[in-house]
Amino acid sequence: MTKGAGNKNSATQRGAELPHAPTGRFLSPFEMVAPKGAEGWESLYPYYALISAERRPMEEGKFWFFDGMHNPEPLYPFDTIMTENWWVAASQMASRVWAIPLALGIDHRIINGYLYISPNAVTDLNQIAERQEHFGKRAGYYFENWDKIYVEWVEKAKQCIERLKSIEFKPLPDYEHETHIYSHRGLYSSYDLFVSYNRLIENLFEMGSYHFEMLNLGYGAYLTFREFCQEAFPGITDQTITSMVSGIDILLFRPDDELRRLAELAVKLSLTDTLLADGTPDAVLRALAKVPGGAQWIAALEQAKDPWFWFSTGVGYTHSDPVWMTDLRFPFIAIRTYIEELRRGKEIRRPLKEILETRTRVTAEYRALLPTNQDREAFDGLVELTRKVFPFVEDHNFYVEHWHHSIFWSKVRELGDVFVAHKFFKDREDIFYLHRNEIYGALYDLMIGWATGSEPRGETYWKPIVERRRAIRDSLSKWSPPPALGVPPASITEPLTIMLWGITPETIQEWLGVDPAAAGNVLRGVAASPGKATGRARVITDPEQIYDIKDKDILVCRITAPSWAPVFPRILAAVSDVGGMMAHTAIISREYGLPAVVGTGYATTTIRTGDLIEVDGTAGTVRILEEVAR
Amino acid sequence: MSEAPFILWLDDPTAAGNPLLGGKFANLGEMTAAGFAVPPGFGITTAAYRYFLRSAGLQDEVRRVREAAPGLQLSDIKRETAALLAGITNAPLPADLESLIRTHYARFEERVGIMNVPVAVRSSGESEDLAGASFAGQYETFLWIAGADALLAHVRACWAGMFGEAVLSYRQDGDTVISKGDFAICVGVQLMVSARAAGVLFTLDPINGDRSKMVLEACWGLGEGVVKGDITPSRFTVDKVTFEILKRQVTPQTEEYRFDPAAATVRLAPIEAERQHAVCVSDDHVRALAALAKRIEAARGAPQDIEWAVSHSGDVWVLQVRPETVWSRREQTALVTAPKSPVAHVLTRLSGVRVTKPSAAPEKP
Repeated sequence: MTKGAGNKNSATQRGAELPHAPTGRFLSPFEMVAPKGAEGWESLYPYYALISAERRPMEEGKFWFFDGMHNPEPLYPFDTIMTENWWVAASQMASRVWAIPLALGIDHRIINGYLYISPNAVTDLNQIAERQEHFGKRAGYYFENWDKIYVEWVEKAKQCIERLKSIEFKPLPDYEHETHIYSHRGLYSSYDLFVSYNRLIENLFEMGSYHFEMLNLGYGAYLTFREFCQEAFPGITDQTITSMVSGIDILLFRPDDELRRLAELAVKLSLTDTLLADGTPDAVLRALAKVPGGAQWIAALEQAKDPWFWFSTGVGYTHSDPVWMTDLRFPFIAIRTYIEELRRGKEIRRPLKEILETRTRVTAEYRALLPTNQDREAFDGLVELTRKVFPFVEDHNFYVEHWHHSIFWSKVRELGDVFVAHKFFKDREDIFYLHRNEIYGALYDLMIGWATGSEPRGETYWKPIVERRRAIRDSLSKWSPPPALGVPPASITEPLTIMLWGITPETIQEWLGVDPAAAGNVLRGVAASPGKATGRARVITDPEQIYDIKDKDILVCRITAPSWAPVFPRILAAVSDVGGMMAHTAIISREYGLPAVVGTGYATTTIRTGDLIEVDGTAGTVRILEEVAR
Repeated sequence: MSEAPFILWLDDPTAAGNPLLGGKFANLGEMTAAGFAVPPGFGITTAAYRYFLRSAGLQDEVRRVREAAPGLQLSDIKRETAALLAGITNAPLPADLESLIRTHYARFEERVGIMNVPVAVRSSGESEDLAGASFAGQYETFLWIAGADALLAHVRACWAGMFGEAVLSYRQDGDTVISKGDFAICVGVQLMVSARAAGVLFTLDPINGDRSKMVLEACWGLGEGVVKGDITPSRFTVDKVTFEILKRQVTPQTEEYRFDPAAATVRLAPIEAERQHAVCVSDDHVRALAALAKRIEAARGAPQDIEWAVSHSGDVWVLQVRPETVWSRREQTALVTAPKSPVAHVLTRLSGVRVTKPSAAPEKP
């Protein structure tokens, strides 16, 4: 097998050797030009995240694909903490912890502000054999003890969140607090501020590590089961495979279930007119406080909030994704939708019994179709194992990306307030224009100013930098990142790459075949949820825009986030640029029974709001039937 | 005269699987008894056929032709059977048999409330079930036959069809099937379904034998074109468990088989422009047909090949069922390479080795 690195002309040869390997190559990362107004964007990010000229053959020979699933927008400098976390935390699981025989880690680069990633494979046969030995023992241990380890995992995650909650950021006092003197602690507010920041960063990396503790193995089990089903029942859809193993009471549905309950309570307490009246959530809450039963409803809302409203409207990797806890617009839209459905006499509770019965029937029927007892045994075993690992696969999102990370972002804002109080920033949100390592410097600068009584340099140093970076990032956000760069690999072996991003030789070939400039009126992607729908497109490139969604729109976005679920009753179908069958959303699209095509590569750049489009979630195609003026 | 009835209604309690009805109609009797929507009708049994041959004195000639069949060249068949066919066409029907057919047709008119009710007249051979021989399309079918006189003429035509070139030369494993026994034929008479669309449905994928799929072929109008092969049907692949429509290959169609009142016959007639590119069966009908086929397969305990029609009012009808004969007879081999614990399967897979043997899985179409 020809190795890809540095061998620019090998693409066609490889294609000839391996009939399924994609042929051709993508643009080199060195061919990417900074968009106008974004010159110097590199200064927003750490050196190790940039494409490096001195390692050109390596950088160019690799296959980089755009991770729009986690970061559809240009990264804020601070937010790189999330991608930097999994750059190590997810990678080390495959490379060093499990020693997955064929897969190393997933490398990252930031190009024009966007995250590109590249899985590393093991190709040396001796090394594969060596890794196999470690892998069997280590992964075997986890699978055998899965339930026990998962119970402990939940405990670890909750404790980590408790510690995160207890971290506080306060401006430094004019005079040190008396208790610090009379307790002869010998440590003061400056030290506490410094320690709090350290703890905050450590805490993120701690949860970031738990995030991946069991994930590769969980996906590995699912991948094995999925492939078995695809071999036994060629053409079986991914949603059917998932439906055989996915849980029915997964945590990710809880926030939405809470909203359904609140809608029912509003009907019971005859508060629907007040809730459906025009106005911001705050205005509605004020009105509610004045009507009979309103206080009871508000109390129920408050009770539902912790932890269920620590729910991001994005994937949780970006501070700018609104969180229900601090932005009630989203839950209110959903509650109103449910109230309207209840008024029409519709059942809004998820039909759990039916879902479970279907799961049992479907699994039994496929089992009966297998040719031999030996196959049925393998199927039973894989179903059981996959069902065992799936609660973690499905629920970790709530603990990590929603609950923990939402609180994490709120803590960073608290620190932002400290910098505002000390005149470093104009606004608490400015903190996100600094990389976490720059904040160490700024914090020390702040401590020096406080201790010495001199004006800290930070008071004048950061404001223009923040403004410049804001302008650069705004320019970057107008650029459309191509789905992939560099040389496609001969094969994809890293389970997460296939499961999460849906990257297969077929998708790569599809991307290679598309000229984005001259893209026709048909887009192809992963058939994520079956059915067909025709309607007007609503293209969403910023989470704020989800409030523009109208009834019967077709949602077109870079990535559909699971917490957008409440708009799903309004829309006809969903289309995304990025994502595979296990992309956080796919599960929920199917739950809502809406046609969905994910991983189209170019939907948000090809389709405009108002275009009439046809989404075929069974075939995985999106057709533009009628274009608005370009 | 034997005790065996000459005529048997499809919904007669003794019709289900009754060999007197031949393979095709005995199956339909079974389907009717099981509650499936089979167009109503009756069979003029194999006993009636034998009674006619006896009374016309044609038994010896039949035996002679049958015994000669294996040695006949295709070009000889016509000459060799001319006398027999003339006999079948012209010999008087025994009066009791003729009156029985006429009274049943009259009763049928009453049952459905239509005078001169148009019927489909089909041969249903005893030999159809023989060793899995499908005899598909070898026997005669006459559509849109109205009136007792026309019916009688076509009953004779079906009987004569027993000695057509196709049947006499039909071979299985090198042997001429017709020479293997004294096969008789039943003539099935069924209410004609005026089909908006029709076709066939296999309860497995006929291309790769995958039993988790069903493949439906459909065309506008009567299904004759799909069966004969002169119309390229649209094709739908449906998941047998979930009824998801996994694949749709829609073929534009410019002509369909339908009844032409002017010519008083079924013929290939042009389709108006707006229907030519439209899909002839809705997704709902595809799913309904798939659900029906799945129940038929379960009732019959093996993969089936089903002919169906959707009437202009949208009703779904089962026209014919027979066991699938190609993949069902193959031995099924194990998919997994070796029995292993599920954890071992996963560990092996993540080490780059698949759980299944590449060759064991059904070929991808």
